[in-house]
Amino acid sequence: MTRTVGQLLIEDETIGVPGAAKRTITGTPEAVFAHVRLGDDGRYRPLSGAATLPTGWSAPLGPAFDADIAIETVYPLALTHQRQFAAGTLRVVPLEDVLARQSGRYESSAVLSEEGRARAAGVVCGACVRHPVWNGAACAPEGIPCPEACSVLVAFCREAASWQASPPPPEPPDPRIAWAAFEEPGNELRERYLQEMAEAHD
Amino acid sequence: MTTLALVGHGSHLNANSSAPVHAHAATLRRRGRFEDVLTGFWKEEPSLSRMLDGCTSADVVVVPVFISNGYFTKTVIPREMRLDGPLTQRDGQRIRYTGPVGADESLAGVIIERALEAGARPEDAIAVLGHGTRRESESEKNVYAMAKRVRASGRFAEAGAVFLDQEPGMLDMLEVFRAGTVVVVPLFVADGWHAGQTIPADLSLEGAETRKGGRIVRYTPAVGTHPSLAAVIERLAGSAAE
Repeated sequence: MTRTVGQLLIEDETIGVPGAAKRTITGTPEAVFAHVRLGDDGRYRPLSGAATLPTGWSAPLGPAFDADIAIETVYPLALTHQRQFAAGTLRVVPLEDVLARQSGRYESSAVLSEEGRARAAGVVCGACVRHPVWNGAACAPEGIPCPEACSVLVAFCREAASWQASPPPPEPPDPRIAWAAFEEPGNELRERYLQEMAEAHD
Repeated sequence: MTTLALVGHGSHLNANSSAPVHAHAATLRRRGRFEDVLTGFWKEEPSLSRMLDGCTSADVVVVPVFISNGYFTKTVIPREMRLDGPLTQRDGQRIRYTGPVGADESLAGVIIERALEAGARPEDAIAVLGHGTRRESESEKNVYAMAKRVRASGRFAEAGAVFLDQEPGMLDMLEVFRAGTVVVVPLFVADGWHAGQTIPADLSLEGAETRKGGRIVRYTPAVGTHPSLAAVIERLAGSAAE
């Protein structure tokens, strides 16, 4: 039986992501984890759910590396959250609570406006295969529910808060810039946010 | 049995930052002394706030793989993991929270191992290099304590603390020590941004050994990447509050 979880294609004896290449990865958590740390473009993937999994690979499944272990290796806590969401026991935390509890470097994320929070969630969560049920998103049984804003979204909200008063000028998106280097002009998510911000205020 | 929860900082920008925590977790899983070994991170996944979501063990020990007993261990980790202190009772689960690996006295042995592996001799100086900060005085305590323990071991001519971000600064290292060879042991968890990149660059190091004005500076990998750190973690878990 074939099924998909996020970008993963799970077949009877293998797990992987389709693509032009046909690379075989050792069927261990360590090998698969190491492989999915970088995307096809070689950039580090700090967000496990980012829709940037490397393509064109598969890893054999077996007793010591079954489909559940493989899914949890690529998408930590995905199956736990699926089960808890289905059972109605998933602890869901709204973004305002997550931002309100921040301190130090991320304390300023809480001053981001409601409009900015919605836009930030749209940009960051829109790049992720998890479904932000903390934001009221729907999630089908085979989907991966996200119960709480992640540290990447918090970091993005911090930067977006600093852009509220005087938005920086837009720059062309540069795919060579680190995926989560939101303070760097040209970062793709940053530029998407700034573009949407400019369009909203035109 | 007990579930061991290792917590680390992680990074949004550096894929190596969390590698030591994952490596030590794998080692401890193989040893089989815990029911399960979980990992959680401030800036990676699973997050600190969710890492125990699927954990059904009645007994959990949380060990911070951090060097300093400061902002992260006192504020961020307890807040994100909803811990009440050294002992938290929640939903039938007992969660014990230890000090960081950087505060455990056995870490001095790992520093000495690192120095010896870099070829340190009895006549050499050992510079225990910590991050430090001008804002948080707690940050320096474990660095000074470890340097004192290395000095007390009597195995080297000199041993002392130097810092990346406070005095005595690492750039003044050759004035702090008199020995002809100074072995610099970074008291960091990972060979990440600082230990792997900015420190070697700022010290103008040319690899594991650099000659500077007739003296030699040897630079070791970060303490936290040493396989022996797994034993420090086990020791901390064993000493968790009852």
